[in-house]
Amino acid sequence: MKTLVLGLGNPILSDDSVGCRVAAALKERINSPDIDIHEASVAGLDFLDVLTGYDRVIIIDAIQTKKGQPGKIYRLGPEILAETRHAGTPHDVNLATALELGRKLKLHLPEIISIFAIEVEDVTSFSEDCTPAVAKAIPECVEMVVEELQKPT
Amino acid sequence: MAKISIDPITRLEGHGKIEIFLNDAGEVENTYLQIPELRGFEKFCEGRPVEELPRIVTRLCGVCPEAHHIASVKATDAVYHVDPPPAAKKLRELFYCAHMAHSHIAHFYALAAPDFVLGPMSDPAQRNILGLVAKVGLQIGGEVIKHRAYAQHIQAVIGGKATHPVCGIPGGMSKAITEEERKDFEEKAKSLVEFSKYSLKLFNDLVLSNKEYVSLITGDIYTMKSYYMGLVDANNKVNFYDGTLRLVDPDGKEVVKFKASEYLDYIAEHVEPWTYMKFPFLKKVGWKGFTEGKDSGVYRVSPLARLNAADGMATPLAQEEYDRMYKTLGGKPVHATLAFHWARLIELVYASERLLELCRDKEITSPNVRTIPTATPDEGVGVVEAPRGVLIHHYKTDSKGMVKMVNMIVATAHNYPAMNMSINKAAKGLIKKGQPATEGLLNMVEMAFRAYDPCMACATHNLPGQMPLEVTIRNSRGEIVQQLSR
Repeated sequence: MKTLVLGLGNPILSDDSVGCRVAAALKERINSPDIDIHEASVAGLDFLDVLTGYDRVIIIDAIQTKKGQPGKIYRLGPEILAETRHAGTPHDVNLATALELGRKLKLHLPEIISIFAIEVEDVTSFSEDCTPAVAKAIPECVEMVVEELQKPT
Repeated sequence: MAKISIDPITRLEGHGKIEIFLNDAGEVENTYLQIPELRGFEKFCEGRPVEELPRIVTRLCGVCPEAHHIASVKATDAVYHVDPPPAAKKLRELFYCAHMAHSHIAHFYALAAPDFVLGPMSDPAQRNILGLVAKVGLQIGGEVIKHRAYAQHIQAVIGGKATHPVCGIPGGMSKAITEEERKDFEEKAKSLVEFSKYSLKLFNDLVLSNKEYVSLITGDIYTMKSYYMGLVDANNKVNFYDGTLRLVDPDGKEVVKFKASEYLDYIAEHVEPWTYMKFPFLKKVGWKGFTEGKDSGVYRVSPLARLNAADGMATPLAQEEYDRMYKTLGGKPVHATLAFHWARLIELVYASERLLELCRDKEITSPNVRTIPTATPDEGVGVVEAPRGVLIHHYKTDSKGMVKMVNMIVATAHNYPAMNMSINKAAKGLIKKGQPATEGLLNMVEMAFRAYDPCMACATHNLPGQMPLEVTIRNSRGEIVQQLSR
């Protein structure tokens, strides 16, 4: 089974980089021919290029919720994507729509999707540093993903 | 495990917002478009070596990193007073045409076509690329994905990376392409030409053959008379990579042609208290408020603006389509905002044809892709046509090439006044007192905005759907009457 670990975000936009940072740390920890680890800032239909060929994907990304505690990590399933399927974006389709299109076209896309979302504080200031609470969550999230990878599927 | 419910599951700061205010009578009084702004980019760049900027600016935006990369590298050429060798310029342009094709395909099929193929008032659950595929056929979905991947492949090979290119350096490119790569690109470019023709045929069959849609496109609520600005080559033909900025007035007459480095002589910025974003306008005409016509300094950039500002297209098929569009819509210039979509497809033809031409250029595999800079760096401006319009980068450095100042005007900023006006006009034309503002009507208001293919300084975010747009209607007391998020 081919697994992709995908850290998403903008590496120079404060907490937005948190997914990329977790992925970078995981590269130091994981060494398996069946697991690829990438950091990416892709959107919409481009997702299909990134995800094609994998059986499982673990996505790590930043999230902002109402009254959320920065640094909190949510373990989410693919159903969360379906809930927002029709969320339009100014330039492209969202992940759920891209996946559904890809499946209709019979692309080899991951059947197993899990998402680790880290509650963030600042995603609008350019900086190479995360805010303290979010920085603290990085090693924690790394452990969670390592554990996830060790689980039987 | 327990289901975590998150409300709203989105980025609070990341919203584009359209606020519609009604008066006491329940008619549209005013509208405001607010676009979130990212902070501190200029500061982030200060003190860094200027040759790093082409790689840093790709992180400004997840939608058009390639446009920022090329505008930036052209600015660094200017900072170092260096002229890249012809093969480097051609290679950049080839790369850039692939980017245009990639972006225009996404916009048309994912964002523009569903409104027309499914209908602007149709069920939003269907009004997307999935609904489009369901209606037009699964095969089209495959073609869209395939040709985007072709364009993406060309960008990745030349760019050195899948999404955030690293190929451009002051004075040229970091590597040349091989004959094998050229051959591969040529095959892909041929296929893209065919696909671009097919896309126009689809537009013809699904949109232009429908009288209702044609009257929607040409109708008053989506029409706005403005100045237009675009890059043109020496023959006044559209060019995405290089040339002179040409400005035409609402009658289509040339006002001026100027070099990118002179942009501050022509563009000034107006400030409004309700938004952080500034409103660019033509300095010599002046800011006369959000008004149309020749006396107002409001101008537009976009695919249609490029076509309006030029005398034609530099490739044969695109020129035929250019003539056909103006003939159909009653001559130049065209002021119909929804015709941006048509212009975008004509540009897709041009990008594909130009791509093929460059793939067949004898010089394209030349290893001579760099002129080593020798002059002392100081200041420079770079310009390209981003998919959504003119993109300007302006840098100042110290004598060691360390950045002292960065200024950028992105297409969405140029269009900010016009987008506000287009939304206003559509809202006033569509939302009537005593009638409920349905999702379909609000979608039609949004169509006036989406035509611009706005890129809201987004932070390339994906979970769950990046940069949603929120439309809020408020009554005369400022209370929310209706809200639509997507």
